[in-house]
Amino acid sequence: MIRLFHRPRHASEARRALSRFASTMRVLCVAEKPSIAKAVASHLSGGEVQTHNTPEKYIKNYVFDYDFGRPWGKCQVTMTSVLGHITSAEFPPEYKKWEYPPPDRLFDAPVNVVVAADKKKVAENIEKQARHANALCIWTDCDREGEHIGYEICEAAKKGNRTLEIKRAKFSNIERAHIINASKNLINLDPKQVNAVASRIELDLRIGYAFTRFLTTNLRSLGGPFQNLLLSYGSCQFPTLGFVVDRYFRVRNFKPEPFWAIKVMHKREGIDVHFSWARHRLFDRAAVIVLYERCLAAKKAKVTKVQEKPTKKWKPLPLTTVELQKMATIFLHMTGQQAMEAAEALYNKGFISYPRTETDRFDPGMNLRALVQKQTQSHAWGTFAQNLVDGGFQQPRQGRNDDKAHPPIHPVTFAAPSVLNEQEKKIYEFVVRRFLACCSEDAKGVATDVDIIYGEESFYAHGVVVLERNYLEVYVYDKWTGSVQLPKFTVGETFEPTEALMTEGKTAPPNYLTEADLIALMDANGIGTDATMAEHIQKIQERDYVRTVPRTSRPDEADDVEGGRGRGDRGGRGGRRGRGAATNARGGVMDFIPTQLGVALIEGFDRMNFETSLGKPFLRKEMELKMKAICEGRTTKEVVLDESIQQYRHVYMQSQQKLSVLKAVGVLFWP
Amino acid sequence: MDLAAQIRSGLQSQGLPSPSISWIQSAMPNRSPLPPLPALIATVKTRFLAADLTSPTLFDSPLLAFPSNASNPEVKEVKLTWDIPVQVLDIENLSKSKWEQVEELEAIARGEQTRGREIIRLPTSNEEDEFSLDGQATQTANNGVERSGSRGASVASANIANAATKTSTHRLVLQDCKGQKLYGLELKRIDKISIASLNIGEKIMLKKGAILARGTVLLDTTTCAILGGKVEAWHKDWVEGRLVRLREAVGADSRNAA
Repeated sequence: MIRLFHRPRHASEARRALSRFASTMRVLCVAEKPSIAKAVASHLSGGEVQTHNTPEKYIKNYVFDYDFGRPWGKCQVTMTSVLGHITSAEFPPEYKKWEYPPPDRLFDAPVNVVVAADKKKVAENIEKQARHANALCIWTDCDREGEHIGYEICEAAKKGNRTLEIKRAKFSNIERAHIINASKNLINLDPKQVNAVASRIELDLRIGYAFTRFLTTNLRSLGGPFQNLLLSYGSCQFPTLGFVVDRYFRVRNFKPEPFWAIKVMHKREGIDVHFSWARHRLFDRAAVIVLYERCLAAKKAKVTKVQEKPTKKWKPLPLTTVELQKMATIFLHMTGQQAMEAAEALYNKGFISYPRTETDRFDPGMNLRALVQKQTQSHAWGTFAQNLVDGGFQQPRQGRNDDKAHPPIHPVTFAAPSVLNEQEKKIYEFVVRRFLACCSEDAKGVATDVDIIYGEESFYAHGVVVLERNYLEVYVYDKWTGSVQLPKFTVGETFEPTEALMTEGKTAPPNYLTEADLIALMDANGIGTDATMAEHIQKIQERDYVRTVPRTSRPDEADDVEGGRGRGDRGGRGGRRGRGAATNARGGVMDFIPTQLGVALIEGFDRMNFETSLGKPFLRKEMELKMKAICEGRTTKEVVLDESIQQYRHVYMQSQQKLSVLKAVGVLFWP
Repeated sequence: MDLAAQIRSGLQSQGLPSPSISWIQSAMPNRSPLPPLPALIATVKTRFLAADLTSPTLFDSPLLAFPSNASNPEVKEVKLTWDIPVQVLDIENLSKSKWEQVEELEAIARGEQTRGREIIRLPTSNEEDEFSLDGQATQTANNGVERSGSRGASVASANIANAATKTSTHRLVLQDCKGQKLYGLELKRIDKISIASLNIGEKIMLKKGAILARGTVLLDTTTCAILGGKVEAWHKDWVEGRLVRLREAVGADSRNAA
């Protein structure tokens, strides 16, 4: 209707406007980032598209005609994007000073949601475009964060036009047919997910600011090395740091102990068969001597069981985000953060599906064979893919997780190595090999077990012969080496073992945490989401709470807490000042070791708040579970905010009462 | 036959050693009229199982003790020629390092327990009983089996940490009625023997034919009958002092017990 007052400058434009008024709707489409807007625009327009610049240099508006099908039919479309979140939550100006009011006031201070200073042009573009539109279609990524960004877009658009009809496209990759399909099956934004994210944002703001100010002002008062520190607190980072510190002390406090065992070897058909003791090992020499002596006294061993049976090594499960990050840190010599960045780039270019997913089962309706077919042109794994196409294809295993939003990470189309950078190449290759392995067959072999009784002691030998490598051919990250085939043994036969030895060993400390360990711990304990874990790990390094060192050069016992200097940066959202240091140049394993500052902070909280230390995962895990509950409609934003704020306020009060403990620990670990 | 003698034969028929008549009389409830015989036998049995075997008035017959050279490490193998009642003074799981046990006890003291990689706050309801399995081996500490569901969660969790597996090997310190002490080593796994389920002061009957090797009694189900019981005070001291003993045994100071 607005268009009635819009005066056409040319006759042709007037005609177009009139004809539109008669039949055509105007739809504003908004994606989460420019690359998706461009890709979707090109798929929907079929190439006939006008591109307009906007005041924000990264954002273009694409104008084209498109038939959405019913009910919208043929529409004139403007496709644009935002750059992630538009708004941010902040406290009013009177709370900006650190000295006053006291930090705990931040638990109930008002929170304003405003357009972020650097997103003003983005919001204005949406508002302006909305004025001419009848409908708004959200194309943000389909996850919780994307849902909230979709809501922010709605709010910005409503400023320009309150009568918009609002829809959302549901998609998990930007392959053409998938996008077209999404455009014909629009759904609504999910207010529950929006509320979950809104709660998370508000809680992070309140808790983060309150504890950051509490820690910083109080520890600065100690003077010395603390004087210029900025001690940033984050409710995910501290439990993450807690894991690192916890393992550090487990390594440092470890006490080695000797143990003893009995090993039996028997030579037959030219093969040395090694039998292991059923008791494995005992931590007492005299006890083992008694048992060993009785073996020797018995002289002969008797075969009690011989079993030969087919065995398999299972092909991997479909790929999730957490698994991708773990594997990348172990096999690709990348940090989780680097892996996610590369995966994101591959997704934006349309080569792989959305890389943030918890799902490890493919929907049975998906045409996986067609996806395999696309990989046959590769020089590296094309032959393997061709074999699958020619009849080797097997339906992937079904994992137990389904986030109902995205399929497992899989290749969408073939990417020639020349169009990818080094990191993308590695991740793409991994994603493809994993996918082809999933569509292949388990590796097969034969396992032989021989049990003997020698005196009163039981021993066993185990042999495997690999017969068919199957998925292992393409999935080079898994190893399955068969041991030597065991010679023939018969149940009931007796023999005098060639050798029976009493052996001695010593327990060794656990290793320091690697990034893969840390991701696994965060995953198991509900710290962060699969999408944010890598960021948290990066943050605790940026803030100098932990450092990574190559495993081979473990520093001396005496001084392996590295002296740390807080650098006082707050590393804004998505800030990637990549140290990229979690893997060294030679690609060795990197150990995570806390700095003295990191140790002091965790020890401080552990000692102040015995029950609910912020260095432990419990409170944060509860919060994550509450977010999930909001999404599932089992609770509301208001209830969750209320409860969580109360919990953290309680910890805050407790910390304030025991401030002297924190200060003492600070001085203790970092004099 | 007088009442004490009837009780004695009642105990005997349950496989228990025979206490002296005077001790039975002292252990009988002091009320009148006395309860019926089966109840009396049950009462005296409970008191017997809770008694200290070395108390001089408990037995008449000195025959029930270890032979005098039983602890001689020079003797490779000798078999017991009579049944010997003993009581448990100590139990160790030789399959686990002491430090592993220290770490578990300290975690429980902090109110935590690990399940796979997950850290759990205690007490907690064990609703989702899933380990985080992703192919990587987890610590062997977690393959224990949960036993009682009826007891409190923290007790149940302590039991997980103390539970034994099929291949666990325990060593007991066993004491006869004369106060002689010998090691008892599980030659074959006996289910009732685990730190979670065996009490200090619990009574065991070592059967005739049991093997003594290098001064250690070798235990298996045919020669080792566990009678039950507990000496409350000893058990309490043992449980409370366990962490300190373990730490001392591996040479850890108690400073960073937190």
